[in-house]
Amino acid sequence: MNSFIAFIMGPMVWISAIIFLGGLLFKFIGIIQSVRSKEPYVFSYLTVKHSLRSIGAWLIPFFPKSTRLSPVYYGISYVFHIFLFVIPLFLASHIVLFNEAFQISWPALNDGVADWLSLAVIAALVFFAIRRQMVPEVKYLTSGSDYLLIFLVALPFITGYLAYHQWFAYRWMVVAHVLSGELMLIMIPFSRFSHMLTAPLTRAYMGSEFGNVRHARDW
Amino acid sequence: MRKSFITGIALVLVLAAGWTAFSGQDSQYLERLDNWAFESPRRPGAVFSHDDHIMDLDDDCSICHHVYEDGKLVPGESSEDYYCSDCHGLKPAPDNSMPLEAAYHKLCRDCHFDEGQGPVLCGECHIKE
Repeated sequence: MNSFIAFIMGPMVWISAIIFLGGLLFKFIGIIQSVRSKEPYVFSYLTVKHSLRSIGAWLIPFFPKSTRLSPVYYGISYVFHIFLFVIPLFLASHIVLFNEAFQISWPALNDGVADWLSLAVIAALVFFAIRRQMVPEVKYLTSGSDYLLIFLVALPFITGYLAYHQWFAYRWMVVAHVLSGELMLIMIPFSRFSHMLTAPLTRAYMGSEFGNVRHARDW
Repeated sequence: MRKSFITGIALVLVLAAGWTAFSGQDSQYLERLDNWAFESPRRPGAVFSHDDHIMDLDDDCSICHHVYEDGKLVPGESSEDYYCSDCHGLKPAPDNSMPLEAAYHKLCRDCHFDEGQGPVLCGECHIKE
């Protein structure tokens, strides 16, 4: 059992990280090649200035008009996305592992705070799942895989929460936590999680077309 | 078919939970390490059985109570009369390449990995009080 744990907390972390980063790189190259062959004129008006302007505008919470039209959804979405990154990157237990592997360290979140924030992330995911059922235009676009992806994001947080509290089956809970985290990383290039790459690309395209062609704002 | 599959999965989970609940830290000599040397510990001190380790290591104290000089292990020398924190300072520094927390984690966990037995996950040693 210890050698299995050594594998999933050692080589498997590297394998997951390489698939995650390499997969996104391949996807990026594929998208650029696809645009080059199908709509090469996009590059004639794509500029760094208009791209960054649009990405920046959409990074500021409630700055774009459409986000103010659905404040509850966007509010929960902002909180969810921020803590999706902040909790795992600033969790004391994760930093300890980083420190032992690479001798680098940074300030950690208070464990109690991280504990409550994890519940907030899980609650946000429950909200997203219910929303897919309740809002007709969203329900129309929803398939089973959307719920599967929501569950996949929730799993590392649920197992992490249960493992931290050591209520039951601790060893299995940590194993499930590590594996589900790695599965989520691996799935990013191959699923709609890849919007962490494609969303900024969409903004670059939209920002350039609105800013450089129509001389309008896209937020 | 599908029902029996779900029943099978449920059975495996129950057995796994049961196995975990009744295996692991079962030594009668278990004690909790005093973590006074840490300024603001985030976790309770690790549980540990000194007697079990003495037996398992055939009374060779120097395996854990080691002595390093100029970054090299001095074979056969042991340091039971010192605190771990006498050599391992809290913060990393040029003359303190192995801070106290990392020293504990590496000494215990690496050996447990190498030996294929013993606790290796955070909460297996830092059991909640």
